[in-house]
Amino acid sequence: MQATRDLDRGRTTQEAVDQQVDRDLAELVDVQQQAGLDLLADGMLRWQDVFRPLVEASEGLETGALTRFLDTNTFYRAPSATTAEPRLREPLGERHVAPLPGPRLVTLPSPYALAHGTGLPAKAMAEGVLKPQLEAFDAELVVLEEPFLARDEKADLSAFEEALQKLAGGPKLALWLTFGNAQRLLEQGLADLPVHAIGIDFYATRATDVPPGFDKMLLAGILDARSSVLEEPREIAAFVERLRGRGVDEIALVPNGDLQYVSEQVAREKLVRLGKARTATVEAAA
Amino acid sequence: MSDEVKFLTHEVGSLAKPSWLVKTSAGKPLEESDIEHARQWGEKLDVEGHEALIELLQQDERDADEIARWSSRYCVRLQESAGVDVLWDGEQQRSEMYAWAIAHSNGFEPRGTVRSFDNKYYSKSAATGPVSLREPYHDDEFSFLKSVAQHELKIPITGAYTLAVWSYDEHHLPKEGRLGGGLSRKDEIDARRELTLDIARNIIRPNLESLIGLGATWIQIDEPGASTEEDELDIFVESFNVSVEGLDCFFSTHLCFSDYDLFFPAIEGMSGCRQYCVGFANYDTRELGTGGAERPGYEVISKWRDLPYDPILGLGVLDIHTDFVEPPELVRDRILYAAEVFGDPARIHVCPDCGLRTRSWDVAYEKLRNMVEGTRLAEESLNRAHAGATG
Repeated sequence: MQATRDLDRGRTTQEAVDQQVDRDLAELVDVQQQAGLDLLADGMLRWQDVFRPLVEASEGLETGALTRFLDTNTFYRAPSATTAEPRLREPLGERHVAPLPGPRLVTLPSPYALAHGTGLPAKAMAEGVLKPQLEAFDAELVVLEEPFLARDEKADLSAFEEALQKLAGGPKLALWLTFGNAQRLLEQGLADLPVHAIGIDFYATRATDVPPGFDKMLLAGILDARSSVLEEPREIAAFVERLRGRGVDEIALVPNGDLQYVSEQVAREKLVRLGKARTATVEAAA
Repeated sequence: MSDEVKFLTHEVGSLAKPSWLVKTSAGKPLEESDIEHARQWGEKLDVEGHEALIELLQQDERDADEIARWSSRYCVRLQESAGVDVLWDGEQQRSEMYAWAIAHSNGFEPRGTVRSFDNKYYSKSAATGPVSLREPYHDDEFSFLKSVAQHELKIPITGAYTLAVWSYDEHHLPKEGRLGGGLSRKDEIDARRELTLDIARNIIRPNLESLIGLGATWIQIDEPGASTEEDELDIFVESFNVSVEGLDCFFSTHLCFSDYDLFFPAIEGMSGCRQYCVGFANYDTRELGTGGAERPGYEVISKWRDLPYDPILGLGVLDIHTDFVEPPELVRDRILYAAEVFGDPARIHVCPDCGLRTRSWDVAYEKLRNMVEGTRLAEESLNRAHAGATG
């Protein structure tokens, strides 16, 4: 943080910032390994927001006005389109998808999120931008972050499904609905979308909203990324039992959104709690 | 009485802190370039006695508060030199608009730093108990600036809703039982209302009373967080009213980087607000012209025109997130468009979109000078047209 601030003000060099990012990445990986996480993430430390690197790497997309991200005090440059068929010039390199010492996941915006506000259909973003990017990844799982769909009462799941189908054939996909109540989408058939896993914010969604027969991996958003309150592992374990009671077999414990909405110190403690919750969940199931 | 059009210009709040202040506050040594910056700007702005600052900066031991007051003098002169009518000191003596208020209040604990956007971050605290004012926290700077400024002053103070929504709330919200949708939206809204109104009554209002007692005539209640939650706009309005009700002062509010349509009709009930200072340039084109096609960022202003209590609109004409220096002609056209929409130039003030603290002094100075020049061009255009119509 200090390094990038200094760079903006001409007080340090890009090389020094890169070295600091490398140190931060090593520490971040260490925290995840100590917490016993199955898949590692690189924390997207060089991403200004979840859209920017892809927008800047694409023909036909531009960064637009500074826009409030949902109901947070964080802002992003909303993508805008200059053509009907944007194209990724070349896949993101190691600068934005850092190499990691183990099985990993990568997070990208979902095609619906990337298309949000551009006037283009999600399918155009899937075909022209996300598909070529997915083909370049060596990842166990690609998480498609989707902050807008659950809040859009007019969202068309069939059009979204068509966009997701364009992304098939590569790494496993997870659709992560962040910061929103997924009840309506679950009622409309969210569980049938062509993805391996679906992430739900369980601070906004009830366990009973998960339909019977949910047969995908459930990314259970049980860390509240917008609250400084630290979660109780035993409460999480009890909640996971309720999900299991609804017949969900495969459950992964995740935050309900990016942890950048809490400070690094709070995020670190939450990750520790996540590891403890996992242990408590395994013990409860045994 | 002259019916000549004259637009009042004002700043919005912050300016960048110079390196000689930042390093002094951090206890770091200065380099020659820092001192040269103080020397050059002191000469450029004709800051009275700035040689004394240069001597101070050359000492190993420096008093951070004294250096901050010097920085205040510089920022006041910077804006006066640019021709801005009503100003503040760029918040040089405050840590930051949120942190300063929280640091002088009871009932909050720090929870680290979070991103605002890009590489910009802010310190975020949690309300952990009943909130109250430790001491009025803008009195000293107001008293100082009254003794320094030649132009009129407008005091910015961070509003209750923004302080609440930028904080975590560990006091009113339950620590357990939220998982699985256990906390309804109504529960969340009730908690926010309680915290916000406590801040309005116990922190903001005593500050306002104290400033008015010292002679303040215009206080700008900053609410950049006002539209964060669509369904909480009534809390923002209620907190503004609770903060100012019955107090004798010109009260305004500052809104920025929002979907402004959201504010209507909620702010119809905010009649104690005599001026809305709002950022629009960020959403506008850089094309010259006074038609709707060239001025999409200003389309929404008719909603302020139609408010039942006829507030003034502080028209944001400078995008504060870019080094692009708006030409005077672009500023002129933005003002002319607004004057046409309002039909009453007296209901238009001219200002930047927001505080200019993310820009260097060089860029901020050029932007402000062009803002003032563009305002004069707009006045000339309207007065010429008026003379032509009546001649």
